[in-house]
Amino acid sequence: MDLSLTETQELLKRGVEEFIERETPLSSVVSLQQSERGYSDAIWRTAAEVGWLGMLTPEAYGGSGSSFMDAAVVFQALGAGAIPGPLLSSGVIAPLVIEALGTEAQREQYLPALARGELVATFALTEPEWGWGVDRVQLRAEASGDGYRLNGTKLFVYDAHAADVLLVAARTSEGVRVFVVPATAAGVEVRRLEGLFSAECQVRLTGVQVPASAMLGRTDGGGTAAALEAALLRATPILCAYQVGGAQTAFELSVDYSRRRRQFGQPIGRFQHVQNHIVQLVNHLDGARWTTYEALWKLDAGKPGVEVSAHLAKVCASEGFVHAVNYAHEVHAGVGVMHEYGLTLFTRLSRSLYFALGDPKWHRQRLAALLPDHELSEVA
Amino acid sequence: MDFEVAYSPEQEQFRAEVRAWLAEHVPQVEGDRDSDENYEKYRQLGRELGAKGWLRPAAPVEYGGGGLPVDHAIVIAEEVDRYDLRLPPYYDSGGTLGGASILVWGTEEQKRRMLPPIFRGEVVTWQLLTGPEAGSDLAGTTTDARRDGDEYVLNGEKVFVGGSHGADFLWTIARTDATGERHRNLSWFLIPADLPGIQYRRMELLGDGNEGIGSGYKNTIYFDNVRVPAAQLVGGENNGWQVASTHLELEHGAGGRIGSNRLFRMTREWARQLKREGRPLIEHPDVQERLVDVFVQTEVTRLLNLRNYWMNQSHQRMSYEGPQASYYGKMAGLEVSQAMMDIIGPYALTTDEEWDVSRGLVEPYLKSAIVALHPGGTADIQKVIIARRIGVGRDIAERAGDTGGQAAF
Ligand SMILES: Cc1cc2nc3c(=O)[nH]c(=O)nc-3n(C[C@H](O)[C@H](O)[C@H](O)COP(=O)(O)OP(=O)(O)OC[C@H]3O[C@@H](n4cnc5c(N)ncnc54)[C@H](O)[C@@H]3O)c2cc1C
Repeated sequence: MDLSLTETQELLKRGVEEFIERETPLSSVVSLQQSERGYSDAIWRTAAEVGWLGMLTPEAYGGSGSSFMDAAVVFQALGAGAIPGPLLSSGVIAPLVIEALGTEAQREQYLPALARGELVATFALTEPEWGWGVDRVQLRAEASGDGYRLNGTKLFVYDAHAADVLLVAARTSEGVRVFVVPATAAGVEVRRLEGLFSAECQVRLTGVQVPASAMLGRTDGGGTAAALEAALLRATPILCAYQVGGAQTAFELSVDYSRRRRQFGQPIGRFQHVQNHIVQLVNHLDGARWTTYEALWKLDAGKPGVEVSAHLAKVCASEGFVHAVNYAHEVHAGVGVMHEYGLTLFTRLSRSLYFALGDPKWHRQRLAALLPDHELSEVA
Repeated sequence: MDFEVAYSPEQEQFRAEVRAWLAEHVPQVEGDRDSDENYEKYRQLGRELGAKGWLRPAAPVEYGGGGLPVDHAIVIAEEVDRYDLRLPPYYDSGGTLGGASILVWGTEEQKRRMLPPIFRGEVVTWQLLTGPEAGSDLAGTTTDARRDGDEYVLNGEKVFVGGSHGADFLWTIARTDATGERHRNLSWFLIPADLPGIQYRRMELLGDGNEGIGSGYKNTIYFDNVRVPAAQLVGGENNGWQVASTHLELEHGAGGRIGSNRLFRMTREWARQLKREGRPLIEHPDVQERLVDVFVQTEVTRLLNLRNYWMNQSHQRMSYEGPQASYYGKMAGLEVSQAMMDIIGPYALTTDEEWDVSRGLVEPYLKSAIVALHPGGTADIQKVIIARRIGVGRDIAERAGDTGGQAAF
């Protein structure tokens, strides 16, 4: 057993941290957040150049074919910096979906461009009757001419405002399938939604005509709902790592502030109530961290019980991030709610990502279904 | 015991009068209740209530209050609550807390001069306690007021104060003896808000702290050699900590509140409107469970505030009850927030016109639940006070500050 990061992983981590220190400290993210697009070209260029967008993509398709743990190390560090932009959407979820569902030709068409950051994609599943189960999809794709015609509304789609193509889950006569829809196609309307969101959008498809080749896996029968569910489950622990990174920063800010801030003639960290906040915070952080790492390890090592571990990780990461941020707010009191300080970036992210790839309630329901037959490991 | 207020025929008659009057005078507003235009309408309502003595119904008539018995004040509070309003119907923290403090600590001359404009709704007053150096440790303030002839000269900075629509007066604590002993070096001032040397800067915060109409945002206020007439010092020079104990007791929730459980009613309504798998959310067992969580939290909050209202109005001796209601309410805010996220999903996060079922209520609630952890003393500070008042680990329990039963004004 060895729970430490490898040397390569330490290097990856430091690379991201140095980039953040140099280019996007929290203060700059605060002002970016107020801009219309929400992120900068500089962030995107770096992400593409350094290879953060193609880590999970096999070398044959222009990626680096890294392990899930390697990718998670990078995304945890990005989360720690609250780095905005469609990094998870276009650098993790979309490539995993296309690789799992697409035909050889489709992989060749999209994966290299995604890895190079030339193409931005996002995945659109949820609808007004909200839910993350693939079986919940109602948006229709009807056979029409040589292709399909799509009608319906996707809601709370992350990063659609920045996307060139949308991977739209739609119900066909053969079940749920995923279609690659250019954001500029006639009948596509994307609107970014206001609220305590990172970049959630409404996507309305009105009579959008796509060719048959837009359906992932059509010619080799690979694009099934089951394959889609499996791909989303693989993306989940990477998202969890991003949440762990955010919780980590909430922790570090809190510890640092508990030492610096003085009231009643002493550092506030001397007060047991403040200590308690930080103790609760670190418990949530480490709960999220180790459930996430174990799920990543199982993915990389091909261990059984990946589903259970991924669901468990998302429960702990979603709930843990929210609680971690709440405790950080208690430690900071007034200063923490001032936007310029930076903690509120994580407040926003913790709420927004609570729902991404399924909220804790949904993952708990999946766990409830799996646990009766779940084999526990013998050791430890 | 009787949880229902028993109404005499006289009260019921009074209620009919109040209800009819409110129906005629409560303004029709559209959109954001805090907009400039709407705020002005609520100020006007305040002046009209003030003229009738209904703005601060239980405050003494000789100082501009209504001089009404408590049971009449309750009727007005209940009727105003039907419009989702409180008295006063806008943010007037310094008027409410400062007014009560002046009543307990002011000289007769000061009460006659300062209170009528406050109790009649002619002026708005902000309370200025917190400084960058002095949050929980209010006594550590370094805002200085140095005596110079018939004036005090103020220098310093206050943060997280006021609201978004300006004030006429600032109810402010400052150090009148920079080298004096802690707790014996402070004084309170009612400062005209337009004196030369006062500067205001808007703060950008996560949310508005849910303090009602007109509390839209908070400010930093700078005092740069501001000359305040000595007659504006209230409660005696260097006696400010005593005055603060009245002020803080009220702010910590001792005044209580009566009103219906609106939050639960609304959450239930949203769960009826939104659907999942073709059925309203409220028919799903997981949603029902979380709705129960909201119910439990909001009912306990309601009852703690109801108890405090009763204790305060009937002049019961209070101990830990004020900070308890404050603490419980703060924590319930966080729990209810998460329950709402579980019940209505990402809809809880949006203010989008098309998709926000709550029409601008839930998303601000989620933000203000976080922000509201801090004003009026952090949750930790409430816990510290509760423990002292109960007498945890000490033979003599700390006594509550003297509110003189003033809270309901
Ligand atoms: C929305 C909002 C509205 C506000 N409105 C007003 C207003 O109208 N007027 C006004 O004057 N102020 C106002 N405030 C300021 C508010 O009163 C302070 O933020 C609060 O008292 C805490 O002070 P602080 O922020 O400096 O935190 P600090 O006092 O620095 O606290 C930091 C941490 O230390 C803890 N701590 C400090 N001392 C102790 C102790 N003795 N024991 C245990 N834990 C301790 C705190 O609980 C907290 O966790 C407002 C604040 C907000 C956010």
